[in-house]
Amino acid sequence: MFGANSRIPFGLGAIGSALGLWFGWASTSDYAAHLDRQLHDLHCSYVPGAAATSEAEACRAALYSPYSALLKDQYWGGVPISLFAVGAFAFILGFALYLAFAGGRAPKKAVVFFGLVGLTPLLVSGVMFFISLTKLGTFCKTCVGIYVGSFVLALGALLGFMTLRGSGATGPTGTIPGTPYDPPADAPRGRPAMSLLFPLAWLAALGIWTATPAYIYTTAIPNHRAHLDKCGKLNKPKDEKNSLLKVAASRAVQPVTFFEDPLCPTCKAFHDRLVGEGIFPKLDVTLVMFPLDSECNWMLDHSMHPGACTVAKAVLCGDTRALSVLEWSFENQEELTAAGKAGKSSLVAAIERRWGADMVACIDKKETEVRLNNHLHYATDNAIPVSTPQMFIGTQRVCEEDTDIGLVYTIAQLAPQVMK
Amino acid sequence: MSASRMVPAIVGVLVAAGLLTTVTLGVRSALASAERRLKDPNAAKPKVAVADHAEEKYCTPRFKQVLERVLHSCGLLEANSRRGCKPADVKSFASINDDDFNELFLPLKHRGAVLKFETGKHELDESAKKLLAERWDARRGARYFFVVGRASSVGDTAKNRALSHRRANSVQFFIKENRKEPDLEKKIGLLWLGEEFAQLPKEFCEWPNSSPSEKCNQDSINRSAFVSWVDCRL
Repeated sequence: MFGANSRIPFGLGAIGSALGLWFGWASTSDYAAHLDRQLHDLHCSYVPGAAATSEAEACRAALYSPYSALLKDQYWGGVPISLFAVGAFAFILGFALYLAFAGGRAPKKAVVFFGLVGLTPLLVSGVMFFISLTKLGTFCKTCVGIYVGSFVLALGALLGFMTLRGSGATGPTGTIPGTPYDPPADAPRGRPAMSLLFPLAWLAALGIWTATPAYIYTTAIPNHRAHLDKCGKLNKPKDEKNSLLKVAASRAVQPVTFFEDPLCPTCKAFHDRLVGEGIFPKLDVTLVMFPLDSECNWMLDHSMHPGACTVAKAVLCGDTRALSVLEWSFENQEELTAAGKAGKSSLVAAIERRWGADMVACIDKKETEVRLNNHLHYATDNAIPVSTPQMFIGTQRVCEEDTDIGLVYTIAQLAPQVMK
Repeated sequence: MSASRMVPAIVGVLVAAGLLTTVTLGVRSALASAERRLKDPNAAKPKVAVADHAEEKYCTPRFKQVLERVLHSCGLLEANSRRGCKPADVKSFASINDDDFNELFLPLKHRGAVLKFETGKHELDESAKKLLAERWDARRGARYFFVVGRASSVGDTAKNRALSHRRANSVQFFIKENRKEPDLEKKIGLLWLGEEFAQLPKEFCEWPNSSPSEKCNQDSINRSAFVSWVDCRL
């Protein structure tokens, strides 16, 4: 397909590396921007260089996922995994250009090295693709850009291998390792030989290129520790009316209080994050229902999540199954939200289908209404912000800014036993 | 080896090194920028409301002024002070005449209720208990629960004062016994007016009361305790 002197496979590899580098950098810069604890638009497009956008749910899901960074318990947000990709692609791009310029004069070992190294990003991309498919259920466009870059690079690497067929001639013994063999004008053209030390040195260089940006990142990352405990406390943590829900797993080591709205998408995402990071099973949870629905919550002049009061009552009625009911409401949030907007009867029907008539009878009880009211008064007594979700570690409120990419670091700092 | 043969390697090294340098500088720059914004955020944080008690439209400045005076004077806002207010207290602390006092409570027509008593009695009957429990449980966002005991003008003034006190206490005791809640003293504002202050006019017969089927007149509506949650912040 390609002759021994063809430069096309390496050019292809360079293009793939450049794509991977570009998308990797876009993802990294998005990540770094969030270290100021504010919300930012994301670069989330298949087009390299496209502007950041707020319409980036899939990219935000990837950004907040447990798989987006390493060392999250040591650094706020961790070290983005895309940063390693950026370093690796930078090295491979340089190597691909070297081979593209050298053409048939490049040593065989260099081509073999490129062939092997060029496949690596595709393997990593395959793993990340699988995670996106099975764990996140969505594909971030920037990530797809990296996958495509990895694929093009791998294609170039494979085609590069093919240029070795029929180019068996190597330089004479005594050629200085690493220097292209300069054959006499009348000698058949072939690839020069070189010492095995060179591939080892390139491998070491690849390691340095891959690790250096991450190392620099860890030395320059802002210190967030001082910001973690500046968001208030529970002033009256005691549940004097014995109304709140208790959800403790057998491995629970840290008392926490959650204020949750079962129809709040952010609550669902936060819960998924806690479960995904393996944090939730270690929490001794006190659950306070705080539906942002004016049907029961006097703090709102309009319902942000119509029907949330009814679903919150269902969670209360769940009692020992309260967590199951809450997780069910998260899993079926779109359907329940639509039912809530359609009217109470639609919502109650959806609840009855899953949890039976007893649950509906309990929802309609006066006691349940009073209990939910007690939850809302618990929020009032503690003067918490009218928003969900909210997490208190002990009595210390976790800042909203620390509930996404900084969550693991925050937990590690405020409740280190959870991360052990 | 000719220098030209070195060119591809040099190009490769320069590109890779240049990219690494660029990436490294870019990382440092991005993080330094984030740190600057972290220390000096240019975007003001959106103001989020704080959970608080309800504040309904009827909580006019005048209403709240009287409410606050009564709550202070009747020991609701200060710990370890005496509980409740007798007619003379209300007269002096509320600084308001009878009609104006009653008028303040008009917006509570559907929030509150009148618990009626037998002549000379202070015990709550079953329908009064039921209505009281209903009203208590319909708290929503209210902070204070008002109990205003009264007596009709029939009989001795001093006895009527004591009777209205016992009626107000009956309400309070029922709540204490049936709703085991902490800090009830800080929620319930207890007043007893006897026959001396702010007698209810006959129009209050139209209010929700514990014996709606019985004949209602000026006397019977005042053999009562008015109860209501008050949705005002102080």
